[in-house]
Amino acid sequence: MTIGKDVKILRVDLTKGSIEVQTLDDDFYRLYPGGKALAGYILLNELPPHTDPLSPENVLVIASGLMTGAPVSTATRYVVSARSPLTNAYGESEAGGFWGPELKQAGFEAIVVKGASPEPVYLSIKDGQVELRPADHLWGRTTHEVQEAIREELEDKKVRVLQIGIAGENMVRFAGLTNELRHFNGRNGMGAVMGSKKLRAVAVRGTLRYKEEAYDPETLSALGKKLARQVKEHPASWSLQQTGTPVLVEPLHNHGMLPTRNFRQGAFDGKDGLKWETYEEQIYTGNKSCYACAIRCKREVKVGGKPSPYGGPEFETVGAFGSDCGVSDIHAVAKANELCNAYMLDSISTGATIAFAMECFENGLIGPDDTDGIELRFGNAEAVVQMVEKIARRDGFGDLLAEGTLRAAQKIGWDAIQYAMQVKGQEMPMHEPRGKYNIGMSYAISEIGADHLVVAHDAALANEDSLSYQAAIPLGIRSAEPVLSLNEGKMHHFYVLERWGSFEKASGYCFFGPAPRSFIHPDDVLLSVNAATGWDVTIKDLLDIGERGTNMARIFNMREGFTRADDTLPERLFGGLENGKLAGMPFPRDDFQEALSNLYELKGWDRETGVPGRERLESLGMGWAADLLLAD
Amino acid sequence: MKLFAGGHLVFFLPGRRSPVEVSLSSPAPLTVVLAELGIPLGEVNLAAVNGREVDVHEAVVGDEDMVNVISAVDGG
Repeated sequence: MTIGKDVKILRVDLTKGSIEVQTLDDDFYRLYPGGKALAGYILLNELPPHTDPLSPENVLVIASGLMTGAPVSTATRYVVSARSPLTNAYGESEAGGFWGPELKQAGFEAIVVKGASPEPVYLSIKDGQVELRPADHLWGRTTHEVQEAIREELEDKKVRVLQIGIAGENMVRFAGLTNELRHFNGRNGMGAVMGSKKLRAVAVRGTLRYKEEAYDPETLSALGKKLARQVKEHPASWSLQQTGTPVLVEPLHNHGMLPTRNFRQGAFDGKDGLKWETYEEQIYTGNKSCYACAIRCKREVKVGGKPSPYGGPEFETVGAFGSDCGVSDIHAVAKANELCNAYMLDSISTGATIAFAMECFENGLIGPDDTDGIELRFGNAEAVVQMVEKIARRDGFGDLLAEGTLRAAQKIGWDAIQYAMQVKGQEMPMHEPRGKYNIGMSYAISEIGADHLVVAHDAALANEDSLSYQAAIPLGIRSAEPVLSLNEGKMHHFYVLERWGSFEKASGYCFFGPAPRSFIHPDDVLLSVNAATGWDVTIKDLLDIGERGTNMARIFNMREGFTRADDTLPERLFGGLENGKLAGMPFPRDDFQEALSNLYELKGWDRETGVPGRERLESLGMGWAADLLLAD
Repeated sequence: MKLFAGGHLVFFLPGRRSPVEVSLSSPAPLTVVLAELGIPLGEVNLAAVNGREVDVHEAVVGDEDMVNVISAVDGG
């Protein structure tokens, strides 16, 4: 293996039980160097439009990125992609941890899974040796049990296990994947796709070392050491190390942007039960890292007084099971989080779906006869924990909620749809668009449905004296813009940051690594790519990689019938919040439509329809995609 | 005066701990207090004095005041 040369991917057909190795063309790989870019290319070219996401015909791609496994903090990520059973759109979910680097060390960039096995199986990869193994004995067990069982079976305690849980086996539409029990491809129902194929896990062990395969290992190694030191010298990475993401609860409450009681409110009267100081005092036991990352932002906790093998809740989970459900009990949040991870549910969608059901219950659209006797009212912590269990098992009322808010609302009827806080079928993360307008744009336009990791959030570029703004200048940022604006400058921010974020997803860098969100200067990101590969590329080349990724996902969705009308937000957001600093302030409907047109234009898409234009696609070296769009 | 720093602003405080006590013999501009503590104005996204939001560039604080400053809050 040499980084960027003779890159190999595995192709697994579960129907046939066959495994093949494909070597990618070097010039192709420079355009689509792993992660989101490679997965997007494969899905767009190999998955026929309108394929049932839970049928054997769906294609599941698990792809590390160009930098995944490099000895550089935050270069740990891999992507899982397929047509999403939650949105019927382009599906994608990233995670860090250890599995992506291990796949690279085993000599493979990606795994493409087609077909479906008649019986449960798992895939074992040990360097060049790859085999499918029976998994009947693993089916129906918790993720912790399965990880232990596979390690015992393979007689290797260090094998890295990526797996679904019983939620994926039951094809819950927001089931995810986990590696090492603490790192999650939560979003978009990729676990349900894997479950539909009866593939329970992928166990990987490799002995290659990224640094030894790099073009300039000395430069890469020196950069890695410099960045490890910088983690403690930059406020953003230092803060992530000290408190992780759960620290966001109180500042967001103070800003009036803490999603509360199904996004009706922006401030939570029970926030003291969830804030970092409470978390730290009552459940926190220490922190852990992803592969070679000096930040160590992952939290370890005890649940029910015992150390949990699943890691602690991130902010998104605290928000989803806490304030969004009106729950102020950090112990209940930690328990719900543990169950999600044992069964492998996306904690954002799970919490948001329970919050939706609570509002339906309180407004009389459903009652105890529908909910198996559970009083689904805001603030009922016990009900939240009960519902997580029922959703994962599709038990009783949980079977309806396992479909996600959009489908559940359609089945409940009446005006339940107004309580479904989703975009394209995916539940909104715990960031309030009425306080960050480009987050609203992210939720609306993202190809995967509501997503909070498309662009750095608005305030990062609101002050030209800030560290984050200064670091974004090499990316092409030209002006500081107000948080509560959708002006042309903000759309330029979005256009730049979306390409940068998409590049991160292609290359394997974490959202918490590169500036402007965090501490790695873009020039150092560029240095890392060139030291790894010897390519001599520029920042514009990196942004182009990102832009290819977003365009392929957009074209995928166009082929599935998505239109401009799908780039929108729940109606609730166009009304005011009930409380908090932003009380009464709506997301601006008219400005939004104008901004959407302006953003389409910046992206080289048709201003009215949002269809990617041939000229931009050809300038990105992907005229083939324009042909594909025309053919349909 | 007692100053609470939120978000990543704690990073700039002495000992990286919040809150801090600041002794003021007479009212002073908040910008001056923050500069003396080493908190860059460019990193302050929201400021409040005694629970009421203020313009960080215009606020004047006294020895009895409770001050909150918060950085930009990103996602993750």
